Amino acid sequence: MKRSLGTRAMVRALVVFLVAAAAVTWLLSAQSTAATSQSASLTSIVTTDTANHAPALGSAAIADSIAVTEVATPEQTAESDAQSRVLQNVFNGVVFGLLLALASVGLSLIYGTTGLSNFAHGEQVSLGAMVAYFFATDQPVSIPLTPWEFVIGWPLWWAAIAAIVIAGGTGWIQDKFLWGKLRKRGVGVVQQMIVSIGLSLALLNFLQWWIGPDRLRLSKAIEVRHQVGPIQIGNITLMSIAIATVVLISVALFLQRTRLGRATRAVSDNPSLAAASGIKVDSIIRLVWIMAVSLAALGGILMALYDSGTKFDVGAKLLLLMFAAVTLGGLGQPYGALAGSLVIGVVVETSTLWLGPDLKYATALGILIIVLLVRPQGILGRAERVG
Amino acid sequence: MGDLLVDVVREAFTPTTAAFALAAVGLNFHFGLTGLLNMGQAGFMLLGMYGFAITVREGGPIWLAVIVALAVSMVFGLILGWPTLKLRGDYLAIVTIAAAEMVRYLGRSQNFNSLTGASTGIRGNEFKGPFEDLSPFPDRMVDVGPFAFHGTRSTSWWLILVAWVIVAIFILIFARLSRSPWGRVLKGIREDEDAVRSLGKDVYSYKMQALVIGGAVGAIAGVIWSLGASVQPDSMGRPTTFWIWTLLLLGGAATIFGPVLGSILFWCALVLIKGLAAMWIPDTVLSQEQLQPFSLLLVGVTLMLLVIFRPQGVLGDKRELAFND
Repeated sequence: MKRSLGTRAMVRALVVFLVAAAAVTWLLSAQSTAATSQSASLTSIVTTDTANHAPALGSAAIADSIAVTEVATPEQTAESDAQSRVLQNVFNGVVFGLLLALASVGLSLIYGTTGLSNFAHGEQVSLGAMVAYFFATDQPVSIPLTPWEFVIGWPLWWAAIAAIVIAGGTGWIQDKFLWGKLRKRGVGVVQQMIVSIGLSLALLNFLQWWIGPDRLRLSKAIEVRHQVGPIQIGNITLMSIAIATVVLISVALFLQRTRLGRATRAVSDNPSLAAASGIKVDSIIRLVWIMAVSLAALGGILMALYDSGTKFDVGAKLLLLMFAAVTLGGLGQPYGALAGSLVIGVVVETSTLWLGPDLKYATALGILIIVLLVRPQGILGRAERVG
Repeated sequence: MGDLLVDVVREAFTPTTAAFALAAVGLNFHFGLTGLLNMGQAGFMLLGMYGFAITVREGGPIWLAVIVALAVSMVFGLILGWPTLKLRGDYLAIVTIAAAEMVRYLGRSQNFNSLTGASTGIRGNEFKGPFEDLSPFPDRMVDVGPFAFHGTRSTSWWLILVAWVIVAIFILIFARLSRSPWGRVLKGIREDEDAVRSLGKDVYSYKMQALVIGGAVGAIAGVIWSLGASVQPDSMGRPTTFWIWTLLLLGGAATIFGPVLGSILFWCALVLIKGLAAMWIPDTVLSQEQLQPFSLLLVGVTLMLLVIFRPQGVLGDKRELAFND
């Protein structure tokens, strides 16, 4: 990584973004003409119905985003309605992408510095949300294999910070007692990957055992929604966007400006060379682990607030989206993970306009496969032989 | 205690155990012989059972249904292998796991409700009929020693017989193929791809053959599994693939009887752990519904410990490790 964000890479990312945007607008125009032609033939229908038949056309299932304000003629309603729905979905996609990026940047950093595709990263996301729930809920909770039940009920801020600290602790423990030892023994990357699969299976079931299989709410507060132009934004969502942006920018500044960050990029580029020039590779990797799992935990908490609910397997569902994002951006490229997450987020959310909501993750996996076909090194990856 | 012992022994030869053993034989073609990291074996199984069940439901004969199951899974293998077999190993892992999940999402999607039955899947009585009609056994419960199964319906003596005969056939095929010149090329690819390439072998094509054959074996395993239960997309998620990996590594990858031994050990151990935990650990500490995640937690830990401390499994040879970077 000589210059981690070269001009060519930027141009490439921009091109992909523009193509995606063009595709979205094209599909939007196709959809709205379809909607207008439909509604033109149904001019006698009462205006409130137009709001209802549009979802039937596009089968969009965002329950609370259908906001009909003023109705002039049926044609106009259908068009502006479809448009605002698309805008809303693109916006939701960007938010989802930002939160996904929190998790996938860590995945990418781990891959970059150790070469490990960490299949347990999804469970780190769930762990953050679950621990935050453990501290924040006013329901009685217990620790596995102990018979006592107690109520903690901290305010959400405290609970979130405690969860992130504990998650960071698990990162430290993992690297000290598991991954570091494996590296020292010279265990191969593929073997480590299967170990991470075992760890993910163990963690997933541990969380189910500990917290239970129900859907949980982190916060009981009812979100205040604002109407900004055609888009609805909730208070909590705004806060999440702010936190995610600040954290992502500080990660970027850390990587770009600080000595440790530069050392991290050096290890990511070539571990032996980094070691030879006096960088303590092992402590850098430990730092990366702590950072990556803390970011994942933060992502899990924010995602739980954004979705207004969470479950023990939320991270397992996100894992493949993270892999799609990381592969799209280029394995081992933290900025690539960010760009990839945004693309994946927007695609996942806008796909619900045309496909059923139960297929929204499938589209992301489709992208993953197409990317590997066309450009296996991803948007920001260097063209090199990966076989 | 005696009941538990009977349950454990019973688990050793149920159709589920046979189906997982067969799926692991398929994975053994991928991983054991060739070193391919297929993390989507459950997807192959699911496609196989969809192919079989839908063909039978639409009135096709059994032989056609089996051919459809094989064909669907082989096409799936070709599509998966095409972009990824030229790339580094972990790309195949990510793509296969993603593709398997995609199959599951598509299968449980409401859009294909008329074809796949969405998330409820395809009920057993819609496709098991023709297979059960072939049964030579009586149509009632049959006790053999302490084990009671139905003669023909669902998890029956008939299915047990067919399942284990198929497992035996595929183990024989695996044994012959792995010692053939073809199998030696695959092992060569596993050990050193470039060396094999320098001998003039088309590595890409050999890998593709291994992927397709192993996937087809997985599809047959899926058919057996569905005949014992029903077609249920959510039972073929990622955990299923991970279990198959665990039991293959437990028995020993690249060995002939490893998959069978691994499957038997895996399922018996699960029943044993659940039984013992229910017996010894009081309900206040570990309630009934917590037993399942608890025992699967142990599966995950077992997988980690196996890979770290005994990657060759019970039967394997340390010199013949399939892990290759």
